[in-house]
Amino acid sequence: MAYGTVNADVVQSSVSGVSLGAGNATLMKNRIINGAMVIDQRNAGASVTVSTATYCVDRWGFSGSQASKFTAQQNAGSVTPPVGFSNYWGLTTISPVSLASGDYFVAYQVIEGYNVADFGWGTANAKTVTISAWVYSSLTGTFGGSLRSSTNNYSYPFTYSIPVANTWTQISITIPGATSSTWNTTNGQGILVNFALGVGSTYSGTAGSWSANNYLSATGATSVVSTNGATFYITGVQLEVGSSATGFEYRQYQQELALCQRYYQRYNAGPAYTVYGYGTGFNASTINTFKPLQTPMRATPTTLDSSAANTFKFDSGSTALVATTISYNPNYTNANYIGIDLNIASGGVAGQSYVLASNNTTSSYLGFGAEL
Amino acid sequence: MITYYIPRNSNIVVKKTVFDSGSEQHQVIDKDSTDYQAYLKWLEAGNTPLPADTGA
Repeated sequence: MAYGTVNADVVQSSVSGVSLGAGNATLMKNRIINGAMVIDQRNAGASVTVSTATYCVDRWGFSGSQASKFTAQQNAGSVTPPVGFSNYWGLTTISPVSLASGDYFVAYQVIEGYNVADFGWGTANAKTVTISAWVYSSLTGTFGGSLRSSTNNYSYPFTYSIPVANTWTQISITIPGATSSTWNTTNGQGILVNFALGVGSTYSGTAGSWSANNYLSATGATSVVSTNGATFYITGVQLEVGSSATGFEYRQYQQELALCQRYYQRYNAGPAYTVYGYGTGFNASTINTFKPLQTPMRATPTTLDSSAANTFKFDSGSTALVATTISYNPNYTNANYIGIDLNIASGGVAGQSYVLASNNTTSSYLGFGAEL
Repeated sequence: MITYYIPRNSNIVVKKTVFDSGSEQHQVIDKDSTDYQAYLKWLEAGNTPLPADTGA
């Protein structure tokens, strides 16, 4: 029995001129993850002083040529976010810098190659893209940023204006697709998106064109790092195919969290004896612990962060053994499963099963990173 | 405080940072990285990474 034939792969939406399944109206149009700055697994809204390379709210990193010049915090300063948003990411200068030629201070996100493979960059069919965001600063003027290739030697500096201090401004920058250079299309660095907070001349170039340089910003852009107490807040970041910005793509919380967990997963204690995983005694002083990950990660994690070793213990029957050191064992780890070796002072039994639990504290945690 | 160790049954070098709060960060270091150069200097200074056979 025939039910008919569907010839269209495009569905007209109720919004005039917008079709689902076509161009930048498709689902997952936003290639930025956590663009609304909702997920903050590492810091849970706490302020951190950033070093030369620090991940802050999920997927968003800070890179600087000098450490301890900024604090970074979800919802820093507690200003009202732009309409439609509940969170933003804020950076505040705590130690001003007079920029030297080689200095750079940028907020960035590296987009995985798989998520921009359809851009066709590096080919004659490269697609035009548009970045949009809401920005807020105590400074006014022309600000800068860039897109950069996975090989770090091909970039497109851009500018945008913040005309009024301490007021949210929506910005939009359209960028022609890059027809040259090498662009990763698998699980490596696809495109680096930078928002500059102060960049010296070595890493600044003419806005509005691609060039074979490692540019992080546009020449002459405002330097946030040069003013003590200056602020730069951002949210609603979107990178999409097309020559104009469309409405921000909101995602369900669990969906956004899972996207973030491909790059970082944090396990926090709930109750004081939260169970983290299970282990097997290796010898009297070592217990090998294994933990399946919540979502497959981008690659085998290369970082483990944790609370102090003695915030963990092993239980086996009525025996409790407090951990003395933690060691990450990437040799027993892949993108789906983590291996950790924990040492105890003594009392371990080879081959015996143990439960890894929080040692009577609600502040223990384990975090695994596979960031780009 | 920064130390280094080689996980059991591997030739991977892991950088371990213990912060004032007691929290820790363990990072696999790439042999092309500046971290690896720092590791080599750490060895030159007479330090020794934890041996692999301790299970650490």
